[in-house]
Amino acid sequence: MSEYLLTQVINYGAPLLGLIVFIGGLGVPLPCTVLVIAAGAFARQGYLTWYSAAFISIVSVVVGDMLSYSIGYYASGYVTKRFSGTPQWLEAEKSFQRWGPLSIFFSRFLVTAIALPVNLLSGTTRFAPRKFFMYDLLGEIVWIFGYGGLGYLFGSQWEVVNEFLSNFGGLVLGVILLVVGGRQVINWQTKRQPVE
Amino acid sequence: MAGIVTEKQKRILFITLSIFGVILILFFGIRALKAFRKFEGHRPPPFAEELQTDVETIEDWMTIPFISHNFGTPPELLFGSLNIDPRENHKKSLKELNDEFFPEADGYVLTTIKATVLAHQPPPMPDTPAIPSPTP
Repeated sequence: MSEYLLTQVINYGAPLLGLIVFIGGLGVPLPCTVLVIAAGAFARQGYLTWYSAAFISIVSVVVGDMLSYSIGYYASGYVTKRFSGTPQWLEAEKSFQRWGPLSIFFSRFLVTAIALPVNLLSGTTRFAPRKFFMYDLLGEIVWIFGYGGLGYLFGSQWEVVNEFLSNFGGLVLGVILLVVGGRQVINWQTKRQPVE
Repeated sequence: MAGIVTEKQKRILFITLSIFGVILILFFGIRALKAFRKFEGHRPPPFAEELQTDVETIEDWMTIPFISHNFGTPPELLFGSLNIDPRENHKKSLKELNDEFFPEADGYVLTTIKATVLAHQPPPMPDTPAIPSPTP
């Protein structure tokens, strides 16, 4: 899949890259990070114009993210009808209002695997659209310029960069899961300890 | 809400999350470490270097015009080495060309293109001895 898309990006340039990251923003699992790093390298090799590729990609991915946010926003009627008012729902809403900005920002480039759930949850919990847009835009700018920039810097050696970054993202996701799950397990264990 | 997720189910969920987290850390940690070691050995190529010379970076997802652009080898020469008409095939990857024109010879197109690019490169410049500066 990655190789086929790389060939097509070579052939059709920034507009195709924009279309792919837009579809990725909607939640379709495409190797967008690989393509962004490669696009940086193609820009270095003079095969893409870096500013048009960056501009088209940022606009497209933000539109895709806003659409998936909207899906959560407009589907929230069903979800809230079922769960609204329950302590867990209120807790989830409160927690998202607190941690939402960080999760939106970091899921754009560091833990991309959770980007879609974060978009949907932002919409469902009615996270302010303007704030979502702002954090989304900032995160995507870091993604495009950070990852694309590394591709640009390393040129023909971009695949080494990609190999490291894709594994690093998985490692960060593992750490997050362990911290979230482990913290809760430790809390239960502490509660179970008899009071001295 | 107790009817939706029980306390026991929550415990199972969080314990599963923790175990899954450890598996991910081990799996991606080892891979990231290996990739980092490989990454450490690489340095960004100098910006002054306009054309690529290392033919080992040629891969079968690349197209002939792309290789031609990066290595400075004329596309007619590359298509000529394969006896393929450039007009209808310039957007195809090396793998697609191989599957279409040489299905019985796996990797033939990639090998031929690498050899052609290498043959077209100018011979490396001999190291010129430094001219000794006149001693006063």
